[in-house]
Amino acid sequence: MASTMRPLVQLVGRASRSTFPSVERNILRKIPSQNAFLSLRTTQSAYTSTFRHNGLSSPRAFSTTPLRARARTMGQLKARNATGPFSWKAALLFVITGGAMIIYFRVEKERLARKRIAELSKGVGRPKVGGPFVLKDLSGNVFTEEDLKGKYSFVYFGFTHCPDICPDELDKMAEIINNVKEATKGENVFLPVFVTCDPVRDTPEVLRSYLQEFHGGIVGLTGTYEQVKHMCKQYRVYFSTPQNVNPGEDYLVDHSIYFYLMDPEGDFVECIGRQDTPESATKVIMEHINDWKREGKPLKKH
Amino acid sequence: MGWLPWSSDSKNSASDGGRIAPDRSSRQKCWEGRDLFFTCLDDNNILDAIKDDQEARRKCGKEIGEFESACAKAWVKYFKEKRVMEYNRDKTIERIKKEDAAKVQDLKAQGWTPR
Repeated sequence: MASTMRPLVQLVGRASRSTFPSVERNILRKIPSQNAFLSLRTTQSAYTSTFRHNGLSSPRAFSTTPLRARARTMGQLKARNATGPFSWKAALLFVITGGAMIIYFRVEKERLARKRIAELSKGVGRPKVGGPFVLKDLSGNVFTEEDLKGKYSFVYFGFTHCPDICPDELDKMAEIINNVKEATKGENVFLPVFVTCDPVRDTPEVLRSYLQEFHGGIVGLTGTYEQVKHMCKQYRVYFSTPQNVNPGEDYLVDHSIYFYLMDPEGDFVECIGRQDTPESATKVIMEHINDWKREGKPLKKH
Repeated sequence: MGWLPWSSDSKNSASDGGRIAPDRSSRQKCWEGRDLFFTCLDDNNILDAIKDDQEARRKCGKEIGEFESACAKAWVKYFKEKRVMEYNRDKTIERIKKEDAAKVQDLKAQGWTPR
């Protein structure tokens, strides 16, 4: 975008530079050709009168000449260049360029801020959210961090016996999935994932019917108690599932209630929390997806 | 309470051994029961339905019955605790706001102007 801006700036510069000299040249050309006779006569009379009055030939005496000549040409100038050097073209160009530059700088500033956030979790010595894990999807296939790569993934932790927050958040997730799908024109670049924190009760069958109520596109993941605990640790999720519960005993699981947005390389980008609406979350996600595309990085679309 | 999918041992298991969680409609039913019960508690000036269990049962017997039959045990406890927690949270926020306002008033009296 920077390269397209430069010619525009030069164009404006050239336009304004060329307007002024042409006007000056016009004035200069006018005076000698059309008013040569007139000015010559007035100069002579003015010269004689001042000489007679003051007995001095000061250059100031000649000031009347160009004045009258200018008055004559000013009328013509006015008619010819009613708008002066500031023609509507120049004004329009100025406004468009100014506006474009303001918009450009704002967009670029926001993009860089996002890039900074996205790159916070890249490189060595960064606090790491996410990482290797081994779980199973609802068909019983092994699902690891490799399966998240290539798309923007959206990871949520929960459990089906969650009283009020998870259902709310999953409804939000469903809305976000649809919004992103719409915004990417149906491209399959967004992978919503639900990881259960409660693998004892949330078996694949339970999880499938539970997630189906919210959105058919959510990938449900489960595993052994140890696998899930490890997954939660990787994502810095508080994990408090009791391990040895008698069958039939009712319990709740405390867990973090953030959505984790992970980029196609499997690095943490941002988290979406309770304060986000489906709209604001979609906006954040789409900005990252579009940044990724603009930088020409690979995305799986199937 | 056996008619609820998750409250009895015979019906609450999926074929693979997991325990089925309440679905959307039973969640809705539970929340409605909760809201009715809490409205009744508000009307009777009861905050903590665990601490003041007897009084709550005496004054809102019908509501608590419906609430407890529509929600799992752990949920009932969770919602009751959450009510107290949210009340205390709101109270704290209000107190801090009041203290802030008083402090501003005090500083203004000493000739300080907010920028």
